[in-house]
Amino acid sequence: MSDTLSDANYVQLEIFPSRLLKPETAQNLLREITDLEGIIRLFVHGPRLPQTVPYGPATGLPVNHPGNTVIEVAGQAIELAVYVGSIRMEVVDVDVKEQVREVCENVLSVPFEFREGNFIPRRQTVSDYAKRGPGADPMMIGMTDPKGKLKDQPVCILKPDDME
Amino acid sequence: MAYEPQYYPGATSVAENRRKHMSGKVEKIRDISDDDLTLILGHRAPGSDYPSTHPPLAEMGEPECSVREMVEPTPGAKAGDRVRYVQFVDSMYNAPSTPYFRSYAAAINFRGVDPGTLSGRQVVEARERDMEELAKFQMETEMTCPALASLRGATVHGHSLRLPEDGVMFDMLDRCRKEGDVIIMHKDQVGRPIDKKVNLGKPMSAEEAAKRTTIYRVDNVAFRDDAEVIEWVHRVFDKRTIYGFKPEN
Repeated sequence: MSDTLSDANYVQLEIFPSRLLKPETAQNLLREITDLEGIIRLFVHGPRLPQTVPYGPATGLPVNHPGNTVIEVAGQAIELAVYVGSIRMEVVDVDVKEQVREVCENVLSVPFEFREGNFIPRRQTVSDYAKRGPGADPMMIGMTDPKGKLKDQPVCILKPDDME
Repeated sequence: MAYEPQYYPGATSVAENRRKHMSGKVEKIRDISDDDLTLILGHRAPGSDYPSTHPPLAEMGEPECSVREMVEPTPGAKAGDRVRYVQFVDSMYNAPSTPYFRSYAAAINFRGVDPGTLSGRQVVEARERDMEELAKFQMETEMTCPALASLRGATVHGHSLRLPEDGVMFDMLDRCRKEGDVIIMHKDQVGRPIDKKVNLGKPMSAEEAAKRTTIYRVDNVAFRDDAEVIEWVHRVFDKRTIYGFKPEN
């Protein structure tokens, strides 16, 4: 098994707004969050938006959902495959946590829940091992799209310089 | 004195709304034309004749039967219409109706309907013109808010999700949208694009939805606030539990 991030005592957070976020609001929030120092990794979570109708007589027709759009975060284009319901992230320490809370208060116009807990696996699971094999980058542990394929590169490295 | 059904116990606004839905005495709050309704149901082209599955009953020469003589067929059955469906999804965030109360409304107030009640959706099968009559009734009255309830023939996901920022229940097929201050439907109930945008009217405000809902919620009218309902629910559960219990055996 590969190394874990558990020894680092990073703080994991969840932002859970009372409404599902429009792509523009999600983009603004993610931009502000990624501007902060000390964010290690994050993912967005929410109901998936299909490209084509999955069931019924209209199966296969394109959906063209307005939520299924490309947002730009930290200079990188990201295609939103979900309607953003929550954002889960790992940050360096509690100081960053408070900065993230402040950003949420400024950007979100709806009430939100903000909590600390365990949201991203800190240790390699069987699924991680099956997907990435032995010796995988510990930063990638738990960073998977359950319906995505690894060859589609579901994880974006927003600030490659910080990886050093 | 003639018997008047009481339908549902309770003194809260939710209990009163439940009685309204069951009795069919609901307020009409919007107009949807027949062609628009046909378009969003997606079973036939607007303005076309109803396709039939058998000749009109009058031409069929029915067998002699006292029940057939006693029961007047519905207009759809009389004309030999196909059986078609309409399916509604109601948000858990104070939608005016719920699957159970749509089914009660259909079964109590309409003939020849087959309501199906599921946790997140409610389907009614009936002869096409009977089904359209019911769909029109439910969509034009306070039983439906175009933002918090929607017509979804397939891919119904969304009733239990948080509302999006604009307050229109999440729909992964994007059948309804808020344009200006009204809700429009630009796809039929199964997600096929339609020729024109159908105006479903203004959505209810949060306060109005809370006033018209048939859903007990702790953040609006809590179930436990309604002592009479609690008493009757306990009574029904009690009777259901003991009705087959015979200690002497």
